[in-house]
Order: sequence, then structure tokens, then C-alpha cells
Amino acid sequence: MSVSIKANKTLFANRRISDQMYITLLVASVATCLFLIASVLVPNFFQLQNMLNLVTNNWAVISLGVGVTFLLVSGNFDLSVGGIVALSGVLSVWFAQSIGGANALSTGLGLPYWLALLGALGGALAIGALNALFVVKFRIPSIIVTLGTMMVARGIAQVITQGSQRNTNLPDEFGVLGSLKVFGTSIQLPVVFMAALLMLAIFIERKMLFGRLTYWIGANPTAARLSGIDNAKHITYLYLFSSAIAGVVGILLSSEFQSGYSNRGMLMEFDALVIALLGGIAIAGGFGSVIGMFFGAIILAVVTSAATGLTLSPDWQFILKALAVFLAIMAQTWALTRRNQ
Amino acid sequence: MKTVNLMSKSTTFVYSRTALAGQVAQFLRNYYIYFVLIAIIAFLSAANLDRFDLFERGNFLYEKNIINILRVSAPILVLAGAFTLLMVSGYIDLSVGSTMGLSAVIYAMLAINGMPFWSAFAITALCGALLGAFNGLLVVRFKITPVIATLITLSLFKGIALLLVQDGVSAIKSMGDLRMPQWFNAYGREGVLMGLPMAFWVAVGVTIVLIVLQNRSLLGKYAAATGGNPTAAKLSGINTSKIVFILYAIVGVCAALAGIARASFMSLGDPLSGDGMELTAILVVLIGGTAFSGGEGKVLRSFIGALIIMTLTLGMLTLVPAYYQTLVIGAVLLGAAASNHFISKKGQTLSE
Repeated sequence: MSVSIKANKTLFANRRISDQMYITLLVASVATCLFLIASVLVPNFFQLQNMLNLVTNNWAVISLGVGVTFLLVSGNFDLSVGGIVALSGVLSVWFAQSIGGANALSTGLGLPYWLALLGALGGALAIGALNALFVVKFRIPSIIVTLGTMMVARGIAQVITQGSQRNTNLPDEFGVLGSLKVFGTSIQLPVVFMAALLMLAIFIERKMLFGRLTYWIGANPTAARLSGIDNAKHITYLYLFSSAIAGVVGILLSSEFQSGYSNRGMLMEFDALVIALLGGIAIAGGFGSVIGMFFGAIILAVVTSAATGLTLSPDWQFILKALAVFLAIMAQTWALTRRNQ
Repeated sequence: MKTVNLMSKSTTFVYSRTALAGQVAQFLRNYYIYFVLIAIIAFLSAANLDRFDLFERGNFLYEKNIINILRVSAPILVLAGAFTLLMVSGYIDLSVGSTMGLSAVIYAMLAINGMPFWSAFAITALCGALLGAFNGLLVVRFKITPVIATLITLSLFKGIALLLVQDGVSAIKSMGDLRMPQWFNAYGREGVLMGLPMAFWVAVGVTIVLIVLQNRSLLGKYAAATGGNPTAAKLSGINTSKIVFILYAIVGVCAALAGIARASFMSLGDPLSGDGMELTAILVVLIGGTAFSGGEGKVLRSFIGALIIMTLTLGMLTLVPAYYQTLVIGAVLLGAAASNHFISKKGQTLSE
């Protein structure tokens, strides 16, 4: 894309959509095409309930994807979210369990429920702060740092649950949050949380200075720093944001299942990364959008549920996932090169 | 006159102190890993003293315990060196765990269908080379970022391995008429020299070959050049694509050898037997002092790093319950990353 051509055709350049929107549209149309193909191949696939299920069954990964997307756009990884999901869930259970259970695993701290939730969120934020400290202060590559904090977070959860789970001696109100139905419909609170989070994220990304700065930092950190942006502070906020989301997801999941399980959220960090990549977010930073991530999640959901619908062995899911990511990455690279020739 | 003398004196003093500190930092950078290994062994032996006598049955330095740790470590020991070379060139392979699982399945399938040891071994290693080359193809030819490319193959190889094992069974093992041959677990278990099995000596051999390759061959020099400054390497006429492709194939072979060692030790071909290996490999290489950004790192130090991790994880079982493992490994990873950072920073600022 040379500058001179652009200057000559200012009128058209204004009408021309950005690369960003182009890729997002591409991802959305791929998701739609895949859905239509699956509808032809799989019986009973083309139903309103099924479309809703594709979104609602994946609320946890989509929510985590929001934080991961913002960090990827700023040029950083966050692989710790799966570990934080386990940690905050286990913490909320441990804090809320009453004192004096039959054994070690049914005895908690007996805190009031609201305080238990705050404590669990605090634990999640502490991991986020640890991420920020290592990435920003010590300048260690984020992929290593967040791999480490992932293991530390899950490790703490495993120590608290002694490698299994805590699910007894809980207050009555514990299970309410995760299974609460809102507005008298079958939509559950976690799904509403995901929807609200998506709206908020899109607003921040498109309309607020904070969102636009994230792109700038990701595209060229040095230029951003030289033009007076406090990169360190910005990335710290992003890590806290991502870990807070993961903390809430962990709390909601533990409430839904009424247990704190140390292996919950296993591999969720990779799924969140994969849907972000499917959604066209560049791993180098500075490019991508939350809407793209959402449609990336739909692509993955359609592929996996179509595989189940075709009664393929669950082993096929791994191969289909690999194929979907490969094709998505190739299509995006091809589309961008072609467009910018 | 006097003041000038004083000044020059103090300058020399400051200078020599800086030089000394620089030497100390250099010494630490080169040899700290051996002290860490010795410290961990000393700690684990001392911690068990109240229960057992030194060098006696049950204690850490008991001969059988050492042999056991070394033969369990064979998979990571054989993989660490190749993984180091790849990271030195600035690339990464997240699919090693899946390659390992797939190789374990292939090896077990060949063995259970009556193929003799050496041909099963050779074919599996060849498959490993092909899997590694496929990674190299995605990275070099299709120009996909290494992290994404190997995340794709992580999923792909695992899927293939799971599909090769028939439905309703979790791994390739003796069933009905099909029986595992007698020799199957000799490779990973039976001592051939100093009580240590073939798998361990293969790991030592591979490491020695890779050390020679890194220090004495063009491949090693070009790998470091590629990692240190890819553009400069390309401009000075190095075919970086070829180097990276070869390194991915080598990592594939080593991951296959690791899979054979694991399958032989456990006497079954488990498609999930390599799960988490990519984390262990990254951990080991980082503890060995390899820079994640590429350009720096030594095969031998990663070998020692692998010994440290395996000694720590297995030795810890004598002190705390198994569910502390994830936490300790995570903390060690963060600690290693932080200390790497501080040691190299100190050395740099002082030598400049």
C-alpha cells in the first residue's frame, strides 16, 4: 500500500474499510459459512437453540478471550488465565466453607460469603500483579512469566484442595450465582456476564483512549514510550484486567458446580489463545479486535460441535482444531497480502 | 602532587573492584548451575538423614535411588540438548510433547506387531524426523509464527496419536493375542553399563554429539547467528531457513527418542505420555541459562538443568505430598527466569 496512491484517491481511501474491519468481516463470514456447511451435513444443526448453545456453552472461554485479546493486541501473552480460574474457584470455596468440618478438606475459613468472593478475587488479582511485576519490571518475556504463574496459581489451588476438590460444608447461598436465571428466561447469569463484558470491551476498544493506546503500544512500543505513554502502567492495568476476568469466571464456575476443583480450567488458556488467533489477532501485537475473537470462538464451537454431531470419535476434535487454526491463519495472511499488493 | 596521586590510586582501586565483580559475575554465569545441582542434592540428602543413614537404603544418595532417577530422566535428558539448539536459534517447539506421545504409540504398535527392536527404533526415529520437518515446513515455508505453528501441530499430532489407539482402550498394550515382546521394556529399564539402561546412554550420546555440533560445526555457529541477529545472519549469506528446518528435524528425532524411552519404561504406548513435556523442556532450557530471545545457550548446561529438575521433582516426593509439585515447579520457573535476568544484566553492565 503506497502512500502516493492513497493520497491521489483520498475520496476512495475514506470509503475503503480498514484492514482491521476487513479481517473481522472475513472471520465472521468464515464462521457463517462453516455454520451453513455444518447445517447441511449434520442433522438438527440448523436450529435457534443450537445457535444459542454455541455461544452459551462457551461463555467461560469467550470471557477469558477478552482479557487475552487486549494483552495480545498490546504485544503480550497471558497463559495464566486457566490457572487463575482454578485458583479463584478453590479460594472462594475454601474461604466460604464453615469451620469445624469432618476432615481437612471440609474445613474452611468460615468467612461470610461476600468476603469469600472478595478474597478469591484478591487472589486472582495477586497473580495478575505478579505477571505485571515480572513482565514490566524485570522485562522477562511474557510467555515464560505467564507459564510460570499459571503453574503457581494452579499449584496453590492443588495444595489447598490436596490435589482433589472441596465441595462439602458450603453455605446455602454458594450455588446461587452460577445457576441464577435472569429475567425469567433460561439465560443464566454467567452468560449475561459474558455479554456485558463483550459490550464493555468493544466500547473500550473502539471509543476510549485506553483502547486506542493499547493498539499503539502493541504496534510500536518504543514509539509509544517516546511519545509520552506510560507503557508499564498500561500493561499492568491490562494484566490486572485479564486476571480479574479470570477470577470472576473461576468464582462463577465454582458456584455453578458447587465445588472448588483444582483441575478446572485446564487448557483453557490455550483455547483462549486459539480463539484469539482464529479471530485474526496478530501475535506480534497492534492488530485485532474483540469482535474477531468472538467469531473465532464461534468457528471453534461450530467445528467441535459438528464433529460431535457427526458422531466422530472425540479424538477427531484435536485434528479438526489444528486444521481450523491452520486454515484461518493461512487465509488471513493470504487476504492481507493480496489486499495490500 | 599528593591529591593527584590519591586520585589515581582510588581510580585503580575502583577499576580493579569492578573487574573483580565482573569476573565474579562471569564465574557465576558459567558455573552457578553446578552449584545449584550440588546444593539440591545436599539439601535432599540432609533432609532425609533423620530417617535413613547416608549411602544406605532409602536415602537420597543410595545407589539404586540414583539409578532410578537417571533412568526416569532419560526422556527429558535426550530432548534437552536439541531443544536448546532450537531456542538458541530463536525458535520454539511446543509440539514436543505430542511428538513424544505419537512416537510412543508408533513404537509400541511396531513392537506389538512383531517387528524387531532395532528396526522399530529406527522407523520411530525416522517418523520423529518427519514430524519435526513438518514443523519446520510450517515455520519456514508457510511463514507461520513458531508459537502458533507448533501449537497447531501440538493439537494435530495428539489427535493422530489418539486415533491410532483403537476406541475404548487408552494405550497400546498387551491384549488378547497381541502381546508386547519380552524385550520391550529392556531399553528403558535394564541396566547395561553401571546399572544404567540403554535409554540413558543414548541420551548421553546424543548430548555429546550435540555439544560437538554446537561448538565445532557450522550448524552450531549458524544457529547462534540466526538467534542473535536474524537479519545480519541472512545478509551475511547464511541460509537461515535451512538451519531452522534442520534444527526442527533434530528436535523431532530427539522427541521421538524420548517417546521410545518413555514407552519402554512404562511398557505401553500411551498417546498422552508426553503431555506437559514442552513445559518441562522450556523450564530445563531456561534453568540452563539459555536466553529466550535466542543467540545464547549451551547444550551441556541444559543437560544439567534437566538433572536439576528431575532431582528436585523426584526428591521432593520424599518430603512433601505429590500435590505440591506444580507449585514448586512454577516457582522454580519464575525464579530461574528472574535470576537469569539479573545475572545476565549484571554481567552486561559491568563488562561494558
